[in-house]
Amino acid sequence: MIDVVVVGGGPSGLAAASELGAMGHDVLLLEREDELGGLLNQCIHDGFGTILFSESLSGPEFADIFMNRIERAGVKVRLETYMRSVEKIEDHFVISTVTPEGVETFESRALVYAIGCRERNRFEIEIGGTRPAGVFTAGTVQRLVNLYGFLPGKQPVIVGGGDVGMIVARHLYLEGVESLLMVYPEDFFSGLPRNAQQCVLDFDIPYKPRTTVKRIFGDKKVKAVELVEVDKDWNMIEGTEKIYSCDSVILSVGLVPYSEKVEELGAEIDPATGGPVINEHFETTVDGVFSVGNLIQIFDYVDDAVKSSYTAAEGVDRFLKGSFDKTRSHTVLNPGEHVKTVTPQRIEYEGKDEITLFFRPGVEKENVEVRLLGKNGILKSFKKRYVRPSTLEDIKIPKSVLSGNPEVVIDVR
Amino acid sequence: MSDDKTSLCIRCPKGCRLTLLTGEDIKIKGHQCKIGEEYGKKEAIEPERVVPTTVKILGAKWPRLPVRTEKGVPLDKIEEVIDELRDLEINAPVKKGDIIVKNVADTSVDIISERDMEVKR
Repeated sequence: MIDVVVVGGGPSGLAAASELGAMGHDVLLLEREDELGGLLNQCIHDGFGTILFSESLSGPEFADIFMNRIERAGVKVRLETYMRSVEKIEDHFVISTVTPEGVETFESRALVYAIGCRERNRFEIEIGGTRPAGVFTAGTVQRLVNLYGFLPGKQPVIVGGGDVGMIVARHLYLEGVESLLMVYPEDFFSGLPRNAQQCVLDFDIPYKPRTTVKRIFGDKKVKAVELVEVDKDWNMIEGTEKIYSCDSVILSVGLVPYSEKVEELGAEIDPATGGPVINEHFETTVDGVFSVGNLIQIFDYVDDAVKSSYTAAEGVDRFLKGSFDKTRSHTVLNPGEHVKTVTPQRIEYEGKDEITLFFRPGVEKENVEVRLLGKNGILKSFKKRYVRPSTLEDIKIPKSVLSGNPEVVIDVR
Repeated sequence: MSDDKTSLCIRCPKGCRLTLLTGEDIKIKGHQCKIGEEYGKKEAIEPERVVPTTVKILGAKWPRLPVRTEKGVPLDKIEEVIDELRDLEINAPVKKGDIIVKNVADTSVDIISERDMEVKR
């Protein structure tokens, strides 16, 4: 019997597995690809590690640090191993995998899911029209360009102003595409400001805010799109439609936690984040099943996703040692006014330690007050200079602030 | 006479909106830390960027090798850097940190490999 199986060899899985290995646990890391690193392998731009290592690393360089740690910590790694299903039998897990050699089964006492997220597609944002070849998600383009050296087209339109869209725009621009246009429904790029500067503004790449694609045209291949302006609530403004010629459409329109697998095991899913409900040690509502990284919520920085794995590893350690003493009086954390999501969603262990709460603001505003509201009013409040929906915020509090409150609401005003 | 520019600081994810006052004395507004002030001053005189891209690699697991400039190069040199790498072909194996091109585009900055790339089995 293995102590803990970590599913997913991206940054969060690597961090969780190496921490647990370093603690002396018997760890097996499963990865479906034939190399570790996950998304980091295709993120060749720099900017990773500024929080953890005070250094601006590229994705592969950041991954390399953790691959070395994995090796030093004695973590067993299985590549090309796809987790098909998991069953909880009494107090352990039976993990069924598909490998090039056939079906293989592992048994473990604890499980860490680090299976990340997927990209939203054109149907989820309701782009109409025909279904020609040449419509990609931005992450797929990043993979095609950076690993295989294929360009998606010579006249791409990028929909969405997120980070991957901007990074892909720079790459396509430098590769010398004939034309390039970015459109997005917000007033300004929703990704990190530094990417707006060094990927788009530096090269004067054309962009249209408050604009989206209404329809895609083309029989076999993309021939054009119909652009339309949107109002501040993203409703299309009738009469502003314009046809724009292009040969490919690249969608950078958000990420969704890949929570189906953990839901199959019976874990409760938070409709707000799309990921499993977790406690302060990233344990789901199924005892012994932990979730880390972008499966919990979409983190803005890989550094924060990795930190989530460190916190989870402490929890797994306590779980394996049987020193997990859950209080029966949980605190449930809920989003209040101008807050979309809060994680962790519940606090289950007594203690004096400091915890980090992440929340996604539902409003763009300057000089706001973030409040924690308990049964007798404000428990604590924080000032933030500027919040916006596309930036995940965090606050650190001693756990004791919450104790005695069955429900705590976080709001922004 | 001053010729004000704005720039979003690229030194950390916060992305402060800087105003660069480039009169006789260079002054930076909008920064929240020393690194941001330094970035702004540099940005006002000679903006620099790290350039990530890929080059063709033969005999490896992937057809492309991720590489980058070892440190920032002048912003107006980026396209020359990319052009110089366009037709380059290298052979596996490569180690992370290996110098792929010395003094790329006469910037006195080297192009380094971002990862190990072994020979394909």
